[in-house]
Amino acid sequence: MVVNIHFDSSWQEGFLKRFHQDGPWGNWELYKLAVESEQHTVIEEFEGLVAPKHLPNLTPLPHQLEAARQVVENMNGKAILADEVGLGKTIEAGLILKEYMIRGLVKKVLILVPASLVTQWTKELNEKFFIPAVAQKKSYVWEKCDVVVSSIDTAKRSPHQEIIYKQDYDLIIIDEAHKLKNNKTKNYQFAQNLKKKFCLLLTATPIQNKISEIFNLVSLLKPGHLGNESAFNEKYKKDSRSIENNEHLKELVNKVMIRNRRHETGIKWTERHVETVPIRFTKEEQELYDAITALRTNGNWMGPGAFSVMTLQREACSSREAVYVTLRNMLKKEKTSSDFQDQINYLIKKVESVRSNSKAEKALELIKNIDDKVIIFTEYRATQLYLQWFLKQNGITSVPFRGGFKRGKKDWMRELFQNHARVLIATEAGGEGINLQFCHHIINFDLPWNPMRLEQRIGRVHRLGQEQDVHIYNFATKDTVEEHILKLLYEKISLFEKVIGELDNILTKMDFGNFEDYLTDIFGYSATEGEMRIKLENFSSMIELATQMKEGEKRAAGGNP
Amino acid sequence: MQQEEIHEFLVRFFKANGCEILANEQGYLTVQLTIELDKELMNRPFYWHYLEKTGGVPNPAILTLITDATKAPQDIKGEKIHFGSPRLHQIFQSAKNLAGYIRLYEKRNSPPGRNIPLRPWIGLNIKISYQCDRKRDILRSIGLQLINGRMVEGFHERLLQLDLTPKIPDYSFTLSPLIMPKSGIARIERFLRKELQNEDHQWAIDAKKRWKKDLQLLEHFYEDCESKGESYHNEKEALKNQYEPKINISIINGGLFYLTETAI
Repeated sequence: MVVNIHFDSSWQEGFLKRFHQDGPWGNWELYKLAVESEQHTVIEEFEGLVAPKHLPNLTPLPHQLEAARQVVENMNGKAILADEVGLGKTIEAGLILKEYMIRGLVKKVLILVPASLVTQWTKELNEKFFIPAVAQKKSYVWEKCDVVVSSIDTAKRSPHQEIIYKQDYDLIIIDEAHKLKNNKTKNYQFAQNLKKKFCLLLTATPIQNKISEIFNLVSLLKPGHLGNESAFNEKYKKDSRSIENNEHLKELVNKVMIRNRRHETGIKWTERHVETVPIRFTKEEQELYDAITALRTNGNWMGPGAFSVMTLQREACSSREAVYVTLRNMLKKEKTSSDFQDQINYLIKKVESVRSNSKAEKALELIKNIDDKVIIFTEYRATQLYLQWFLKQNGITSVPFRGGFKRGKKDWMRELFQNHARVLIATEAGGEGINLQFCHHIINFDLPWNPMRLEQRIGRVHRLGQEQDVHIYNFATKDTVEEHILKLLYEKISLFEKVIGELDNILTKMDFGNFEDYLTDIFGYSATEGEMRIKLENFSSMIELATQMKEGEKRAAGGNP
Repeated sequence: MQQEEIHEFLVRFFKANGCEILANEQGYLTVQLTIELDKELMNRPFYWHYLEKTGGVPNPAILTLITDATKAPQDIKGEKIHFGSPRLHQIFQSAKNLAGYIRLYEKRNSPPGRNIPLRPWIGLNIKISYQCDRKRDILRSIGLQLINGRMVEGFHERLLQLDLTPKIPDYSFTLSPLIMPKSGIARIERFLRKELQNEDHQWAIDAKKRWKKDLQLLEHFYEDCESKGESYHNEKEALKNQYEPKINISIINGGLFYLTETAI
């Protein structure tokens, strides 16, 4: 016999008791209603999705329904949902969860998401999917509630971890799962030790740098699917970056991964309007910048110092406050020569003589002209604080946003921004994990060097659900590293016009290492302006080539019936 | 389930529980809950506990359910009900809780001066769930006559044709069962088991194949490790939970039915 049959005897006990005690007996009408309700809820087929019937207020897109069906029918409920940014991975995960819950296959669920998304997940599951999800706040929640949403950082801490390890989960969902790409980290090991029947890993970027990242993700989901670690390394070491080149590996990965591409979904996106706003330094700002640049050839700043000079240059393009904080920290550091200290103090003098911030003035002018909410992104805490003060001086309400905020504070800030403030000032770390579709204007006060991070910034606003065109203003100070990177790199690869997600395709395809290392090399070690220009051009040509290859591939793929 | 069906279902449910229907209009209904149903549906044990301790006047809730927002008046305040809404499923569950066991008698006009004998049946509404990493359910309704052991399928549908009452009707008398209910249930269980064993279980064979394949992958993954740690054992156990095919037979509700000789 291939299958065990279990006959539930609990009803019989209750019945025999009533038989001997002569009651109490139920009501005939209710008895009939009980049978009718079963007839309405019974699911007679293994295949197909019943969840949509239970969700009249949700209209899933075709690719979302198909993804959910695939996971349930062909992937046995273990999958990496790797749609490009903004295609609704959360909806897919919600559909799958709902399907399993309706069918009675899943009861106990753990959902691990970035701290800033805990409330949002909880809200969406409750409101869109009618799933009674609870945000973890007290430690008893792990045991008492069936569907719990938490951040992985909370979950892995004592005493939570010990309690969680004792639970048998039917389904585990991990959002932003690319953070588990390294199997040596505590987070990875924590996730690996969870007891899970079904598992969904959500990430828009399943591979960022190395092919081993996909190995680790898949091994979390289905250990052995890509072999064991030593065999995998042996086999794929040679072409360590390009999964595309290896048909066999690609096929294996596709058995556990669903990746919808934007151009395949046929969804109409609102436009991006990109405007470069050239900024001119004031005389004092220019002097500060030049003083920093002059240090490039100085012995104290050479070698590993190349990085510091560039950091300071970039900071000088943002605010004097940002420069000042870095200089102070340099002074505090280990014993430095008095010569070096003098140079720093000299720069601090220059900082002090700067009286105004050209970018901030420009931002103010823009905000006054835009009759709508605005998000300002900056890389630097110091600039963020300064801007907050500056806007307040000019009668504009703003709220800060940082990655380091606690969950409640993030929600609160988002709420404040939506209902009470004109401007949200976010630092880089704050870019991930909040959705701000109600806003349509972004000012990039300064530019990150990793285009993926720029992508994430824009992705907060330009995503599924955005109903209006999005305006992006890039501030670039004339004759600085900033202008170079914008003009020679970002504009050349028409980064800003790309629909979201296309970029990660291209970057993962390129066969070179870390983007930022590359740029540090170009800016830090070029002897002359001319050399830097040529290196940057080479670099952007490489990206262009990768883009063309990508488009060629798309056409070729489109040619198939 | 269409919205009108849901509306109809709700009205019947509340009436069957003795609730007064305060409004039953296009697109919505308003119900005065009884104390029992308030406790069953409104999830406020502290209120009831407090009331019982202090001896206050119970004030069960009034519930307005909107079954079709397009037809209901704009200003009406209430809970929107649709097929997936938790409230409806709570009510489904509640119907099962409140009517798990039943005893009924058939009412039939008898010729004057003659008493009608009623024969005992046990009737079960059964859900059979086939489960591996997927699941499907089948509903069955089986009746067993407790005198001659005759077994009948589609029992519930046949009952719906009869006039049934909770009190024994005048001029009727019940025959005592020869088969005790306990062994009646056991007969039905044996019957179902035998029938299920003879079914085609390709779904279970396939599930076992999937299970075996994942197990092999798991072994391979850990083959270089000298001691297979906790995560290996967790994973192995999880695969069993995920794939192991099983059939669960559960009883939705059922009871004793005293029926005339020709009823079924």
